[in-house]
Amino acid sequence: MRSNVKFPGLFILAAGLAAGGLPVSAAKADIKIGAPLALTGPLADEAKKQELVWKMWLEKVNAAGGISVGGTKHKVQLVQYDYQSDGQRAAQLAEKLITDDKVDFLLAPFGSGHTKIVGTIATRYETPIIACAASSESVFDQTSGYLFGTLSPNIGLFGPMVKYFREKMPQLKKVAVLGRDDVFPKSTAQGISAAAKAAGLDVYYDQLYAVGTMDHSASLSAIKAGNPDWVYITGYTQDLILARKQMNDLGVKAPIITMLAGPAYKEYIEGLGNLANGVTSSTWWHQATSYSGVGVWPTTEAFYKEFVAKEKSDPDYIHASCAATVVVLQDAIERAGSLDKKKVRDAIAKTDITTFYGPIKFSANGMNAPRDLPIIQVQDKGIKVLAPADVKNSDMNMIK
Amino acid sequence: MKSRWLPYALFAAWVVVLATTPLWGSNYIVRVAIMIAMFTGLTLSWNFIGGFAGYPSFSTAAFFGIGCYAGALAQRAGVPMVLAWIVATVVVGAIAAALGAIILKMRGHYFAIASIGIVEVARLIISSWGSLTGGGDGLNVPLMSGGPNAVARIFLLVMIVIMIMSFIVTVIVDRSRLGFGLRCIQQNEDAANMVGVNNRLYKVIAYTLSALFCGTIGAAHASWTGYIDPSDSFSILMSVKVPVMCLLGGPGTLLGPVIGTAAFMMLEEVFWANFLDYNRAILGAVIVILIFFLPGGLLALRYRDIARRFGLLREPKMAA
Amino acid sequence: MVYVQTLVNGIVLGALYACLAVGFSLVWGVLNVINMLHGSVIIFGGYLTFFAWHSYGIHPLFALPVVAAFMFLIGYVTQLLMINRVIDQPVLTTLTLTFGLDLILYNFMTVYYTATPRRVTLDLGALDLFGIAVPVDRVFGMVLALALTGLLYLVLRRSRIGRAIVAVRMDSAAAALMGIKVDRIYAITFGIGALMAGATGAIFAMVYPVTTNLSGTYLGKAFVVCVIGGLGSVPGALAGGIVLGIVESFAGQFFGPQHALTVGFLLMLILLVVKPTGLTGIKGYE
Repeated sequence: MRSNVKFPGLFILAAGLAAGGLPVSAAKADIKIGAPLALTGPLADEAKKQELVWKMWLEKVNAAGGISVGGTKHKVQLVQYDYQSDGQRAAQLAEKLITDDKVDFLLAPFGSGHTKIVGTIATRYETPIIACAASSESVFDQTSGYLFGTLSPNIGLFGPMVKYFREKMPQLKKVAVLGRDDVFPKSTAQGISAAAKAAGLDVYYDQLYAVGTMDHSASLSAIKAGNPDWVYITGYTQDLILARKQMNDLGVKAPIITMLAGPAYKEYIEGLGNLANGVTSSTWWHQATSYSGVGVWPTTEAFYKEFVAKEKSDPDYIHASCAATVVVLQDAIERAGSLDKKKVRDAIAKTDITTFYGPIKFSANGMNAPRDLPIIQVQDKGIKVLAPADVKNSDMNMIK
Repeated sequence: MKSRWLPYALFAAWVVVLATTPLWGSNYIVRVAIMIAMFTGLTLSWNFIGGFAGYPSFSTAAFFGIGCYAGALAQRAGVPMVLAWIVATVVVGAIAAALGAIILKMRGHYFAIASIGIVEVARLIISSWGSLTGGGDGLNVPLMSGGPNAVARIFLLVMIVIMIMSFIVTVIVDRSRLGFGLRCIQQNEDAANMVGVNNRLYKVIAYTLSALFCGTIGAAHASWTGYIDPSDSFSILMSVKVPVMCLLGGPGTLLGPVIGTAAFMMLEEVFWANFLDYNRAILGAVIVILIFFLPGGLLALRYRDIARRFGLLREPKMAA
Repeated sequence: MVYVQTLVNGIVLGALYACLAVGFSLVWGVLNVINMLHGSVIIFGGYLTFFAWHSYGIHPLFALPVVAAFMFLIGYVTQLLMINRVIDQPVLTTLTLTFGLDLILYNFMTVYYTATPRRVTLDLGALDLFGIAVPVDRVFGMVLALALTGLLYLVLRRSRIGRAIVAVRMDSAAAALMGIKVDRIYAITFGIGALMAGATGAIFAMVYPVTTNLSGTYLGKAFVVCVIGGLGSVPGALAGGIVLGIVESFAGQFFGPQHALTVGFLLMLILLVVKPTGLTGIKGYE
């Protein structure tokens, strides 16, 4: 009975393999940029931000005839796949993009962990890849040469912030730090704690919470007992909304409450309403800055206006940073005058430009050069910039 | 006579198809082949406890993840790559034997829950033991030098070898007293005990077998990727996917896990390429269809009958 | 004083855990099904509540009965059309089926609602009892948990349907011989499970951000609570929830928040091994 079973099965398999292997054909284009995106799963929101600005850029570039390579204009095509927020799948799709779709360049997915996985593949294939949402230096320590990032290192988040808060609140002393045990939130929690200690502050609470934590009352009660001057919490938006709400419920009060990267996103403010007011944060970019330079968006204002006209809401730093990656790529291709991966890589490495997003110049490890990052505060459900002085548009309010 | 050798011939043919992918396919196809070989190894492993013994185990991701970390840590400590994989296999085997001795007292739902609980606990321990494992930061694993083609071929070979080894063990178990005993346990555990099967020992062996190669595969996967972190290493989705693949092919058989994995993964590839937003829902629909219309897996279908009646009856068969 | 606050934190958190687990436990006890859909149904209830509030200004507490009734309907139909077909099969089959259904529901929710965390920003504040802060919305959660389990307990003990459910749980074959329509009882039970999930979703919308990202977390908690309280026992789910809440709360204080979840899961595994009937030792509805 078993004997007559197998042949059709094998046919199915063979047919399936053939189908799986068929290239997904699309309109012919000269320059192909590949993007594994987490369109479903926990990172879906962030991936959609990436997709949005890349499409905005694509429209503009192609409307202008494409990217000029050694005198001739080439149209650009974006090849994207959903990797479902799953690291293994991200690696697989990166390889598919490089070998099957034969993309010339890659754009990294959201977040440090997945950037690292995809960066490793790209490096193996010597394909230039630019990341827009990875700011932990550990991501860039192993994939030398082909991985670049438009966010500057986390380090720029800590020192200036500690210094600024001490200026605004000279009696600042007691600090509580609570971070999510995950690449980016963990490294920022550790960074701020180190910076605060270095400045002589008393970091009396310094803990991480596990991924999947549904309740912060134990941590917050302990923080409350220490009567903090400054509470610093890192995590994903959903964690931070919960943490801020529980702070309110449990009566945890502090003149300064900082959350990373919550307030930079509008979903954070919408999810908290009035509770968001007064919360400070850092960001890599804000529309209050006014840079002008190369790329399809000549000024910060141009980018901002176009984004608002299209989306009816403000862009955040992820939007801007991701839009900057493609600006860098375009600039590098034009300077290289070639689509050769090696030449474009060299051109990216030599990048030294100013864009709507700010100055971009890559350090030896591939990250954008460190700079003082804007400190922001939610005021009246909107974002105000407190520092650096040249872009500030409001003064800091203490909570309480 | 023919029927006895057919499974082996088919398996050998499938190995050849996978092993020759570098000759006729792009590196992406090779990667798919690596993933198929890898998951086939996991599914064949699961088959020992889930198929033969009929215990609903969802521990696969725990063993895979511990294998990832054991191998990565060994490699970082300077152990040569292949030796690190062996270390990981032994570590995972020992852990599984110890856990099995404890949780195999339970049956049915209790066992299912305990086996899922193990995945969560393993993930939480690995991620909160930051000083050793890097916690949420993940771990770098020394990258293999060489171009992408060489790396792809090496890991294809590695995963295929592991797959063949797990198949050989399956054949041995299938023909041995152990296999007989496990099938007795699946049919009726109390009766098995009465006819002289040492239930407890057999189940622990089956559970350990179900873990061993998961450990090897995890460690090899870590070397291949070059970076691991807790959430990707211990994914509940993997723990559920593997049994589903086995169910699709036919649990408790030699070839069922192989066919099920291949069919499932290729369906997945097609969905991914063609349905950007709804691929998960389609996967869910495939599972639902499988449960309703293919209760014994692809192997249980009477293909000759279907072929004969094809024009007359429109039976919902074969999701492919 | 700190310990009292920790205890109170644990109890109110535990009440939320109990809400999560009651419906899951009932389905498990009566149908012998590990319902992987449970987490997503809670989220679905949360979305309906959120949009009722956001678009029409309906207070979550008013939306709750409607959402719960709607979920009952969905649960009833799902059971009748789908799960009943394989109800006699081993746990692996039913679990896999509900997992498949969960993938579908999850996918549609992420496409239509996106994973953006949303929340009903009512912020009811907290009661201050002698220096101990007790959040009002969590008190609602607690009341709901008590009311639902109490009601369910009464229904199971007093009503005809309830007695039928218990009879089916004890021996479905004998119940069928007594003229009970087992299929319908199963469907009603699954419907009640979904109703509980919907009600929980409505309460949770005030406490937690509503996002599909949390469905796995909710499901995982339901597992742990059920095991701690006793598989398939409704009062057990209540007890298990509160015990887990207290344990996590103290573990978070003593070992740090990083280890709170690990302690909860370890407690579950240990209980499974030493006392599979859970802390209450109740099996079913005696």
